[in-house]
Amino acid sequence: MKSTQINIGSTLCRPDALLKVSGTAKFAVDYYGQDYIWAGVKRASIPHGTLKNVDCSKALKVPGVLTVLTHKDIHGTNRQGVVKKDQPVLVDDKIRHCGDAVALVLAETKSALAEGLVAVRTDTKELQPVKDVMSALKPGSPLVHENNAKGNILLAGEIAVGKSLAALKECDVVVEARFETQRQEHAYLETENGWARLDDKGRIEIVCSTQTPFRDRIEVAEALGMDPENIRIIVPNVGGAFGGKDGITVQSLLALAAQHSNGRPVKMWWDREESFLASAKRHPCMMAYRLGAKLDGTLHFLDVDIILDTGPYDHLGGVVLALAMEHSGGPYRIPNGLIRGRCVYTNNPVGGAFRGFGVTQVTSAIERAMDLLAEKMGMDRLELRLKNALKAGDRNFVGKTLTTSTGIIECLETLSRHKLWKQKSSWKCGVPPFKRRGIGISATMHASGYGPVVPDYANAKLELTTRGSFRIYCGVVDMGQGNTTANIQIVGSLLNQPIEKMEVVLPDTDKTLPSGSASASRCTYTFGNALISGAKIMQERLCQKAADLMMIKDSNEFSMIPGAIRHLPTNREIRLETIARIMDSSEKTVTAYFRAPVATDSVTDDKNLRLHGIPHNLFSYSANLAYVEVDEITGKVAVADYLTVSDCGNVMNPQIYEQQIQGGVCQGLGLALYEDFETLDGRIITKDFSTYLAPTSMDIPDIQSVALGIHEPTGPFGAKGIGEISTNGPLPTIANAIFDATGYMFDKSPITPEAILDALNINLSG
Amino acid sequence: MISNLLISFELNGKEIHIEAQPDRRVIDLLREDLGLTGPKESCGRGDCGSCSILVDGFVRLSCLMLAVQLNGRKIVTIEGLYGPKGLLHPVQDLFVELGALQCGFCTPGMIMTIIDLLNSNPRPSRDEIREAISGNICRCGAYQKILDAVETISERVSQR
Amino acid sequence: MSKVFMPAQPDELWGILDENPEAVVYAGGTDLLVRLRSRFTKPDCLVCLERLDDLKGVKADDDDIFIGALTTHREMLNDPIIQKDLHILTHALKQLGSPPIRNMGTLGGNIVTASPAGDTLAPLYILNAQLEIGSRNSTRRAPIESFILGPGKVDLAHGEILSRVVVRKVPKFEVHHYEKVGKRNALACSVVSMATLMNVSSNNLISNIRLAWGSVGPTVLRFGDIEHFLVGKPLTVEGLSEAINMIQELVKPIDDIRATACYRREVAGRLLLRLLKYSV
Repeated sequence: MKSTQINIGSTLCRPDALLKVSGTAKFAVDYYGQDYIWAGVKRASIPHGTLKNVDCSKALKVPGVLTVLTHKDIHGTNRQGVVKKDQPVLVDDKIRHCGDAVALVLAETKSALAEGLVAVRTDTKELQPVKDVMSALKPGSPLVHENNAKGNILLAGEIAVGKSLAALKECDVVVEARFETQRQEHAYLETENGWARLDDKGRIEIVCSTQTPFRDRIEVAEALGMDPENIRIIVPNVGGAFGGKDGITVQSLLALAAQHSNGRPVKMWWDREESFLASAKRHPCMMAYRLGAKLDGTLHFLDVDIILDTGPYDHLGGVVLALAMEHSGGPYRIPNGLIRGRCVYTNNPVGGAFRGFGVTQVTSAIERAMDLLAEKMGMDRLELRLKNALKAGDRNFVGKTLTTSTGIIECLETLSRHKLWKQKSSWKCGVPPFKRRGIGISATMHASGYGPVVPDYANAKLELTTRGSFRIYCGVVDMGQGNTTANIQIVGSLLNQPIEKMEVVLPDTDKTLPSGSASASRCTYTFGNALISGAKIMQERLCQKAADLMMIKDSNEFSMIPGAIRHLPTNREIRLETIARIMDSSEKTVTAYFRAPVATDSVTDDKNLRLHGIPHNLFSYSANLAYVEVDEITGKVAVADYLTVSDCGNVMNPQIYEQQIQGGVCQGLGLALYEDFETLDGRIITKDFSTYLAPTSMDIPDIQSVALGIHEPTGPFGAKGIGEISTNGPLPTIANAIFDATGYMFDKSPITPEAILDALNINLSG
Repeated sequence: MISNLLISFELNGKEIHIEAQPDRRVIDLLREDLGLTGPKESCGRGDCGSCSILVDGFVRLSCLMLAVQLNGRKIVTIEGLYGPKGLLHPVQDLFVELGALQCGFCTPGMIMTIIDLLNSNPRPSRDEIREAISGNICRCGAYQKILDAVETISERVSQR
Repeated sequence: MSKVFMPAQPDELWGILDENPEAVVYAGGTDLLVRLRSRFTKPDCLVCLERLDDLKGVKADDDDIFIGALTTHREMLNDPIIQKDLHILTHALKQLGSPPIRNMGTLGGNIVTASPAGDTLAPLYILNAQLEIGSRNSTRRAPIESFILGPGKVDLAHGEILSRVVVRKVPKFEVHHYEKVGKRNALACSVVSMATLMNVSSNNLISNIRLAWGSVGPTVLRFGDIEHFLVGKPLTVEGLSEAINMIQELVKPIDDIRATACYRREVAGRLLLRLLKYSV
């Protein structure tokens, strides 16, 4: 490190990077231990059926197989889920998707495990699968959950805005369009895995790759009938998550295995194909939009109907729907309209949290609709957006008054001054043979936190060690996004200590304090605010201690300096390790609590929608621009340039901020152009990394990021969430650019070369 | 019954003699038998590059190699990579300095690929770097900063 | 568990193959080991050819270029003989798989795998490549198009090994063109590919042309009729248009996970238009 001093607002190299580049950073997959055994899951492999019997006898005869467990070995509820507990650990009645777990095999070696899994025989009666949302909603459709009161509907909601549908006839111009977004796989490189062991006191320790250790602990305990106190979850470095590890993956299975392994450590590591089969995905989404405006371009009306395919389980499907509904109008003032949403059960892969969380889907719809409207009105796309963009004090589409920093106008204005916007015409003029060039823009917003009902809180814990350093107990997982570094910056800058005096403890339910999930663009906002309070308490306490020791009345005359506390009037100092030595251990640790402010606007009477998160209080914003070149011969699209101008509050660490922008754009471009997790009648077609195509270095252009750095008064050092917003821009921006290039607005994603060639249908040879 | 074979090779500068099943995948041998957890497995079929190691100086995928193929070879994993003074290799340094990683799971494989690139082409252009890392998926999308880091090395070599 | 042999000498190889009639042979492993991953029963015996140094490297005499079957894609890319005379192969190799795959995979492996999407195949077809197939007691030669019988099917008996690829140096072509259409720009399996060798006269007429397509039939496809038809035609949109229709009628693509037959058919023809960049 060049500078050991820590500041907010300048880049601090990520301390985890040192371990990661040298191969010494430990991920959950790197835990083996003495005398460990392997656990693996027998998957249903049919999308819908009744499980009549599981025959373990053959498997038990396989040399090296230790035991085979089924639902009969589970003594709790055997149900897990974040909001609605509808997912079995091991199937006990019905199979609801191909990835359902039906048996758990424990074996001495990986090869014995593989053989044992094949030898487990399941006796099933196949039922007609509910293969898509449209058939799920038809009367008489088979039911995914027979006892669900609303048939195949998990959650449905409706919010009327202003004059609702009556405002349609007041519009001068209306565009109507339907959009469909695909199922997207997280494809984090570290597949779901963990390591567990039962100690002699009956406690189970689980090391795993998760975003939610504290919530997992409760879920595992309920599902297996254990006392949560007897479960410890430890989260080392996480090899990517993007929402896919928000919720249970291996945890309950591992705990069950540990109950039957005679104290031997158990390791479970899903391979890529199993990860694809069993993990949650971004919900496929169907959206019908009617957007209306007055002659001058003032938006007047929006009618939205959203249908999500959540697969067989809630997971976070209801919450995703609520966030989609809330963001369906984009960052615009739209006084009237109707928002309808349904989250629907099917026998497809499970839908769950994925960076962008429903907002990605609806943003792609409203932003394409905006371009269609601009086209129909003959109005400039940027002007139309600027004219209707939200400002502080406005009510957003769902009716929430914006009381926190609202920088979408500044984002759009900055974009309008950027050279990529100014040079767009000359770039288009230089088009080579058989190519078409286009420029697209989009405006996005993204909420952070949990909404008005579920408490969005964090508990920071900070300790002065005997060597005079500060140990931060991080309650929120860092799955690569860099919030741990932000934590170090907060404490280091407030206590005026260099990086050498900083230590971190990664999330561990025995050591760190419950602080919610690593999700919802909330990590640094919520935990950071708690940590600021903690650091201030620590500072006051240490200065007071120093004042007491030096017999000085006023502790305000003290200041923290690197490694010590100095009495400014006399220049006398006391080393931190000296203070630490005379403090009792109870005094050396401070804890602090923060609960994020919530919206008090009553935008809906639907308690269920409020529970699922409507409305939020704090939003990040961005404006995006892309240059694309479409090849007329093959239909292939090349993204030549991509710009994001973002208002995510004050920038605490420019490098990590850019990482988040670049990474989100990368995944968003994957969604726009390449990635499609395909199924046919509930069965997966894209089974592995050769058919599910995440972008390579050759597919992603260099991305330009402009951060506005607008101070958010409620944020830690003025910061807001940066984790998700950049994922929302690429699909609409690229679609709009292709619209500009070809005159064709694609309503399905990914936008494939094949679809483009079909649409162009150019007779090049004639 | 097929018996284990004695397999001898150099691993990160040390002679290794180990009994292994001849068809054991090299990634398993390294991680489970030899305790080197730097190389990661992610796809198991050559489509991601996470398990990349150097074999006689060239980058290879350890998920698509069997243990016997190691016989007589010189293997370097991320754990065996050092710079001139026994500290970090300049590539590792610049990854840290320029933030060329996020979750870090692709990083060991990515770095081994870059070492191979720089061995054969000490001054690669940005396009050449882009091409060279195209078999290493980074799902966090750190490509741009990886390019920045390697380009910086390339420029430093040019200035020397 | 499988036995794995790594013969270093041909004699050793022949002995292993004699004694293990079920032996499965691999070179770089980038195809076979992937296929074995999804298979529960493994073969009893694997033979890895990577130590057969006699079958590696590129040589040339006055008339021919000889490429050892175990030469890796990367070695070919770096080879001065190939760089000088076989640009068409270089263009294709640069787009094959990814750098680590190119370090492991071999030319022989790409041929014997016989995927219609194999990136080296279309170039080898238009180079009129001859394959040398060795066994304990004999060596035979076969043109590549008669050696490859269908997807994954080649004319290779147990006890035989593809040992060398032979390419004539003449005639010389000015244009060596390869285009691969994949679903992404690296680590992609081709959806359609087209390899071209061509000469264009000073008045912009095609004077000589060879064309082959990958991924639009059970094997790489080459159409003598189209090559004949194009000779003497101007290198213009009009000059190519009829050939485009002919190609679209002749190719035999299928629908699969990567693309529809319809798209492949359409693009196979259209790729010809890319040759316009060589017009004079």
